[in-house]
Amino acid sequence: MSSVLLLNLAWQISTLALVALGLAIVFGKLRIMNMAHGEFVMIGAYAPVITSMLGLPGWLQLPVCLATVGFVAFVLERTIIRHLYGRMFDSLLATWGIAILLREIVELVFGRGYQSVSPPLTGTFSVLGADYPAYRIAVIIGIVLGFIGLYLWNTRSKVATQIKAMVGNPELAEAIGIDTARLSAGAFVFGCCTAGVAGLILAPTVRIEPMMGLDYLIRSFFALVVGGLGSLEGLGIGAGIIAGTQTFLGAVASQTYGYLAVLTLSILFLWLKPNGVRSSSH
Amino acid sequence: MAYQIGLYLIYGIAAQGIGFLWGKTGVLPLGQSLFFGIAAYVTAITLKVDGNLFLNLVLAAMVLALIAGVAFVLATLVFRGRNESGPYFSLITLALVMIAEQVAGTATSLTGGFNGMSGFNSLGDLDPFGNFYYVIVAATVAVSLLLFILNRLPINLIAKAVLDNEPRMQLLGFPTHMIKGAAFAFSAMIAAMAGGLFASHQGIVTPTSTGFALSAEMVILTAVGGRFHVLGPLIGAVIVGWASAELRGSFPYWELLMALVFILVVLKAPGGIAELLEAAFRRVWPKTPTPLTPSVVAPPTRSGTRPAPLRFEDVQLKIGVVRILNGVSFETPATGIVSVIGPNGAGKTSALNTITGNLNVTGGRIMLGEVRIDSRPPHNALGNGIGRKLQVPSVFFSLSVSENLAIAMMAGRLRMADLFRTTPLQWRSRSLSRVLNNPSVPLKNELTDPVQHLPQGHRQFLEYAMTVAAEPSVLLLDEPCAGLSPDETALMTELVRVYQIETAGLVIIIEHDMSIVEAISDKVLVLHLGQVLAFDDYKKIRDNPDVQAVYAGGTK
Amino acid sequence: MLKKTAPLLSSAALALALGTVSASADIMVGVLVPDSGPAGLFGPSTRNSAALAAEQINASGGINGEQIELVFADVGVPPAEAAQAALRLWKGEGVKAFVGMHDSAVREALIGRFNGQVPYVYTAVYEGKSCADGLYVTGETPSQQLEPVIPFLAEKEGVSKWYLIGHDYNWPRDTNALAKGYIADAGGEVVGEEYVPFTVSEFDSSLQRIKESGADAVLVTLVGGGSVGFNVSFAGFGLDDQAIRLGTLIEENTLAGIGADNANRLYSSSGYFASIETDMAASFAADYSKTFGSDAPALNGLGQSAYEGLMLLAALANKAGSLDVAAMDAAAEGTTWSTPRGENTLTGRHMAQTIYLADGSGGAFNVVASFDNVASSEACSN
Repeated sequence: MSSVLLLNLAWQISTLALVALGLAIVFGKLRIMNMAHGEFVMIGAYAPVITSMLGLPGWLQLPVCLATVGFVAFVLERTIIRHLYGRMFDSLLATWGIAILLREIVELVFGRGYQSVSPPLTGTFSVLGADYPAYRIAVIIGIVLGFIGLYLWNTRSKVATQIKAMVGNPELAEAIGIDTARLSAGAFVFGCCTAGVAGLILAPTVRIEPMMGLDYLIRSFFALVVGGLGSLEGLGIGAGIIAGTQTFLGAVASQTYGYLAVLTLSILFLWLKPNGVRSSSH
Repeated sequence: MAYQIGLYLIYGIAAQGIGFLWGKTGVLPLGQSLFFGIAAYVTAITLKVDGNLFLNLVLAAMVLALIAGVAFVLATLVFRGRNESGPYFSLITLALVMIAEQVAGTATSLTGGFNGMSGFNSLGDLDPFGNFYYVIVAATVAVSLLLFILNRLPINLIAKAVLDNEPRMQLLGFPTHMIKGAAFAFSAMIAAMAGGLFASHQGIVTPTSTGFALSAEMVILTAVGGRFHVLGPLIGAVIVGWASAELRGSFPYWELLMALVFILVVLKAPGGIAELLEAAFRRVWPKTPTPLTPSVVAPPTRSGTRPAPLRFEDVQLKIGVVRILNGVSFETPATGIVSVIGPNGAGKTSALNTITGNLNVTGGRIMLGEVRIDSRPPHNALGNGIGRKLQVPSVFFSLSVSENLAIAMMAGRLRMADLFRTTPLQWRSRSLSRVLNNPSVPLKNELTDPVQHLPQGHRQFLEYAMTVAAEPSVLLLDEPCAGLSPDETALMTELVRVYQIETAGLVIIIEHDMSIVEAISDKVLVLHLGQVLAFDDYKKIRDNPDVQAVYAGGTK
Repeated sequence: MLKKTAPLLSSAALALALGTVSASADIMVGVLVPDSGPAGLFGPSTRNSAALAAEQINASGGINGEQIELVFADVGVPPAEAAQAALRLWKGEGVKAFVGMHDSAVREALIGRFNGQVPYVYTAVYEGKSCADGLYVTGETPSQQLEPVIPFLAEKEGVSKWYLIGHDYNWPRDTNALAKGYIADAGGEVVGEEYVPFTVSEFDSSLQRIKESGADAVLVTLVGGGSVGFNVSFAGFGLDDQAIRLGTLIEENTLAGIGADNANRLYSSSGYFASIETDMAASFAADYSKTFGSDAPALNGLGQSAYEGLMLLAALANKAGSLDVAAMDAAAEGTTWSTPRGENTLTGRHMAQTIYLADGSGGAFNVVASFDNVASSEACSN
């Protein structure tokens, strides 16, 4: 295996894990099948476009991203999503409508055309004997560190425990004084914000346009069902299997075979192991 | 108008299939254009090769049968061993349609690739917008009529019951995975028929005909039109299609408006346009609920096998790392009432679950007479003569009392041919009549009430009546008297005792109330920590020091 | 901020300005544009270009002395719905001729629907191989875009090892089938050929293969967003130092999405660029920005093709003396007319036209060569 392939695998797996993280929270914890997940990635990717449109300095990209995505997510949670807890299929349908809505709104504001964003780091960097874009290497390292932090927070934090309690038994959680409405809203907004940050990070490396969200949705869902809902390890394993298969087969065979293999693999997992490789549902 | 509405009707037909599947069984197909597209391609190829009408129709029938068969096998395999229709199945259909779209776009030599297959005439060389339009209308009418007929057949009630409470349906002996598989196959066949019409009507088939976007579009049409009504999806397809054609070019916010309407429908009007129309209609012409009138003597049940002793042989049950049953062995007599007692967590309910197959044993075996019965699917339990009432009353909450009873009457009695006759809905057995006619049993005055409005005690009697309707020779009762008043408790124990005497069968009852245990038990089985502590008649159990030690330990 | 409404308003303004003209219009012409779907990006510039063409046709006497009025329909939808929309115009509104800028699947559906009964000008870049009664094509075919360009680039840039990458469908495959011949003729070799599904947006493994192949030129037949994603990553990996890129569907919007940083040595071959410096092109661009405002949707080859299509329709119908398909088919061969693209001739129902090669380095197209009167190898006979 060449070192570039290794780095490509690292890039694909880590970015997919990052993109799918928000869905893991919203789908895995709140049981909202969020078909608009990719649109939050898309809005996040537009953050640099917003800052340059408003003439703001580059370091404000992250705050602008969080504020925009967070605001949109909060409004949607209060008006639509909160009616959908416990109605999984309805959540799938309603968020499909939300996805169209968000795409159309972004199109109205920014137009249909492609946007372009420059990476903060340019040039390539020599790793393991291969020239690899410096920005990508920085992102891979950042995502790995971020996930380690999240893992530690997840095992220690009180909020994480409360979310677990709420998922396990909403009535009981309510009874012991957990404000489930606030907690759900918080978890939804947080999940969407991670998607937005993923979009911001990916922006310099991908196309940016209102329809881009779909690219991220399906792969995220498949990564989750393969890995199993409800645990960070599952998310990592799922992203590894989905992105790994696509990248590896894409390199040794063709992208078409890689794509078909990912779909086939997902079907097999959904059929034979619907709870994924790792699952906390038992 | 004809040239416009033809296409919408074709989509409407496919959406009717989705409505049938989704509205009745709760299975949401996200890949219906898989069948639509495959049939469209096959039609295109056939029409290209040979225009002989008779040959084409024969081939169409064969393709429809094949597609239905494949869909049935697929869904049955996926649903086997499960008792719910979670999102996994929807996601599988989604992945399948994505594969189909990719293959259709890549296999250029077979499908023409992205540009599609064209250059063929319509079926029977009819003008697509003249006479073929009437073929489409005829197909729409035929499918609608078929669906209206299905609504009056037992299938309709069975499908609704599967959606309402699948575990209960399995315990009533219905192979729910096959029922859902059949519903899926039926909807696939309708989608395929629509696909064939589409190819013939349009004269071109492209990968979009078997694509994810079309699948999603058809689900949206179904939801907006109304999935619970035969005509709902048709109304949705025509209204949305027509409005889209009128507004798309001139109104730039068309897709925005569509998305908002769709979200509103999902949130506020799950029944869609059809339900709103029906509600308006009913305000003018109200409909009074009529109970099903049981007027036909039910055929004999198939579940009444000869009484036989139930034998546990070193039964082990492990879930994860937790040992629930730890070498349970006992043998009951062939007839009589056996009470199962023991502290919470002793494994009582789990033991019943291993008998019905809701849990598979991890060691040992369970015999009913000479038949090994452990680790087979729950829907086969009734076939072994085993009926079960659950701890929390498990009935069909969205159905009326009489519909609940009608389902129960079909349990163990329904044959394939009965699915296509209305009489099973009117079946009533003599023994069920006796239970219902008992002046103390509350149900007969509330036959048209939805079960969700029934008090707890009445639900207990309903579930009991439903369980004994199939006349199982082994009756498993899990705390049948929980939540009952003293009078109701007396009535329930009386019913159980009479049932046992009438059938000369075996009743196994989990019970905490020692006075009930004393009153009805021929033998008592004491479970503790997943093992048999004692198995004897009531007096000996009462005097058993081990049992006393466990119960003195505190928990009731 | 509301970029979508602005062009609509300006279209409305134009319609009002032309109100006196359209009141006396005698011929309705259907213009099929992608307002939605993946090509929806080109909807506004296509509408605008068509409106300008109608204005000029009417100003110079219309078609056979009759004024024309445009009726638009959205065909950025699947073929069935697109054919339906066209049919509405034809049967419902009495449209007498069509000009369409859309994908090939829709074209095939329309050919089946029209069945040679109504003249139909197809204007988008396409793979060739489409002949039907009443069908006339202005769009560039692969032979036009590549035959003169590949030898030119081979000499100018000194490249010989070509890697072919495209989306997995008819147009890229047919384009590359021809390209291989031109590459061989220019003394080059093909070192790799690859097709990716529309659904794949990650090109890492393709880029790795390009790098390992040692290619010094890449022929890009990816479309739309895929092209943007590929070219962004291409430069990110520093491959722009290793190889030049030649695209046959990289227009102004795609280049903007790729970004100035990532467009080093990126060539595009097309019949039109907004930066062509001929007199007619300059006056067309001036009219465009005067009519639709300076922040109107950027001019590009696809959008502008609707102008070409209407001009062809007018030239041909005037030559034939009617909009009757048989008369037009008979008169088609050798029809000539001039447009912003240059001097055009209809040969084999396809438009022989000037082909421009532009360099996108720095984020704007700079025409480096033009090839006059390039005929398509496609030839439809009567």
